[in-house]
Amino acid sequence: MSKQINVALIGNPNTGKTSVFNALTGLNQKVGNYPGITVEKKEGICKLPRGVKAHIIDLPGTYSLNASSLDENVVIELLLNKNDKDFPDVAVVVSDVENLKRNLLLFTQIKDLEIPTILVINMADRMSYKGISLDIPYLEAQLNTKIALVSTRKKNGIAELKELISNYKDLSITPCMNASEIDREYFDNLRKAFPNQLLYKLWLVITQDVNFGKTDRNEIDAVADFKTKSKADLKRLQQKETIKRYQFINNTLKKGQTIDLNTAKDLRIKLDRILTHKIWGYVIFLLILLTIFQAIYDWSSVPMDFIDTSFASLSEWTKNALPAGAFTSLLAEGIIPGLGGIVIFIPQIAFLFLFISVLEESGYMSRVVFLMDRGMRRFGLSGKSVVPLISGTACAIPAIMATRNIESWKERLITILVTPFTTCSARLPVYLIIISLVIPEGRFFGLGYQALTLMLLYLIGFGAALVSAMVLNKILKIKSKTFFVVEMPNYKLPLLKNVVLTVIEKTKSFVFGAGKIILAISIILWFLASYGPGEGFNNAEEIVKTEYAGQNLTDDELHEHIASQKLEHSFLGITGHAIEPAIRPLGYDWKIGIALVSSFAAREVFVGTLATIYSVGSDDEETIKNRMAGEVNPILGGPLFTFASGISLLLFYAFAMQCMSTLAIVQRETNSWKWPLLQLVIMSGFAYIIALIAFQLLK
Amino acid sequence: MNDTIQTILALIALALALSFLIKKFFWKKARTKKAFNDAHDCDKCH
Repeated sequence: MSKQINVALIGNPNTGKTSVFNALTGLNQKVGNYPGITVEKKEGICKLPRGVKAHIIDLPGTYSLNASSLDENVVIELLLNKNDKDFPDVAVVVSDVENLKRNLLLFTQIKDLEIPTILVINMADRMSYKGISLDIPYLEAQLNTKIALVSTRKKNGIAELKELISNYKDLSITPCMNASEIDREYFDNLRKAFPNQLLYKLWLVITQDVNFGKTDRNEIDAVADFKTKSKADLKRLQQKETIKRYQFINNTLKKGQTIDLNTAKDLRIKLDRILTHKIWGYVIFLLILLTIFQAIYDWSSVPMDFIDTSFASLSEWTKNALPAGAFTSLLAEGIIPGLGGIVIFIPQIAFLFLFISVLEESGYMSRVVFLMDRGMRRFGLSGKSVVPLISGTACAIPAIMATRNIESWKERLITILVTPFTTCSARLPVYLIIISLVIPEGRFFGLGYQALTLMLLYLIGFGAALVSAMVLNKILKIKSKTFFVVEMPNYKLPLLKNVVLTVIEKTKSFVFGAGKIILAISIILWFLASYGPGEGFNNAEEIVKTEYAGQNLTDDELHEHIASQKLEHSFLGITGHAIEPAIRPLGYDWKIGIALVSSFAAREVFVGTLATIYSVGSDDEETIKNRMAGEVNPILGGPLFTFASGISLLLFYAFAMQCMSTLAIVQRETNSWKWPLLQLVIMSGFAYIIALIAFQLLK
Repeated sequence: MNDTIQTILALIALALALSFLIKKFFWKKARTKKAFNDAHDCDKCH
């Protein structure tokens, strides 16, 4: 059996590390979490020359091994723990040709851990454009490494990189810098106390708050004739180390790199001036958002209609093709409509992620972060909070995990608490179905009312997050320091492969993550809707026949009345009627009440629940939308989904905390039930009040 | 397929659905190595 090489892909943020990872692994990748924590772990398999396989781990982006956030700690923990099953046989440090000086700081630190290390200089295609030339043999000699000049955009250099990885045993492990240079006396003592340990590794253990193997800081402190320094002294020595490293890097690049400024053409500065302008920057961002939401609507309508009618036909076909009975009904009235309620939204979700991914890939998203930082400060947040708030449009869970790179605890806590207001993809199905029912299809200056409503809901979510952040900033008495650094990557044409992989990954996780829950809930709902206690359910047929004895009902009409009688007296109907008094002032009936309760597990369950409830007992081949549009208000008559009840529902979903997984992650990130419970009570209470006001004003 | 088989299949589906939801939302996973203290306050370190 061929040996598998462990390869750690390390680099500063925005060096194209993920593009290198995608180029090496293609579709052979999976995303998970590091054990015990929620930092994302990307792994993949790469086939190397001569039948060798490499297990590639894409580590979180970090500027140095002096970690300041939890996801950066992941990198150090892995590199310091030889017993970790993922400990790399070879480290591949990815750098950006335009930021080589800064990127080499991390490289020299990893090299000093005596791990075989390859330096990837990425975005090599920009060298001629920027007037950069490199003396590769000289740099290889100075840095004691092998260099792969790569352009993931032009697909150059990947084969050479694979060749270097497969020959990793030939790589030199000579360090770039002698660790003793940091403080000779201190390091001499350290060497005496731990003669068998690598000095630089010991230094990192002393200066970092990480665990590794059997040697930790307590053990170092416990050695009688050796005392660690004070925190302030250690900080000073860390700064000295950084200066020494930059001296080494400057000397190396003086000969190894030349930049001809006359050849460099810079469009970036001109673009930055417009895109981050204090007025035009916001106008352009708003226009981009408008275009995105309009396109989501215009492009997805055809595939969505196709999916909707296909599921309705499948349900009908199942009912006719299989023998009648409980399981057939479960399939045709429970499982298929429930799943249809999620599959129908694949086109819109895929288009949303397509646009988000293009904005990220092009480098525009970093400009948005920079642009927003100015405004964010007023609300007690920093520019770094924009990343969780924007990624919250996909899902609050990874967004809350992304707060780990916010250094200030107060800013981090506020960001965690307000992120669930951002419109996540789970809200999207609810918004889309209700908007299509209650908002007319007309256009205003070429923009559809429905698209404008959707954009407004996104802005409401974002606005609610900002306002609650401002309130929390005033209420929370936590002292904290704050600073904001953002990397402005170059503008580039998005790589099709990266965009496609992102869209597939995000859509897959939406469908399979939510799909399993929806399937399970659909099954339970079908049981609750198909069985019930007492006379009202068991003698439904006789009751209806007696009630309508004088009227000449057709068979279909009679069947519909019986189904309605059964549903109303089923377990589900009884539960729905019990909660109806609380939700009637909001304009909802007991069926919507059931959907509200079931969607506390996950918001997208709402549509699946209604699809299941409306399908039970129905013989018609109808789409979900048509069934919802045909529902009649039991009290007032007329359609149940009116403008007033629709807006009330939209606002309820915009503010309510309806995601058990998010609550669990908030508990984990704050290590307390206090914050998720407060979130649940305050957000849902606020949602109820706003929905109530909206319905009462608009009805 | 007679009624009994249909009912058994439907009940199996219900049992699977219930156990999935219980496992997903209420089952406490045993944690592996605990890498960081969850209540980590970055401000104390920096």
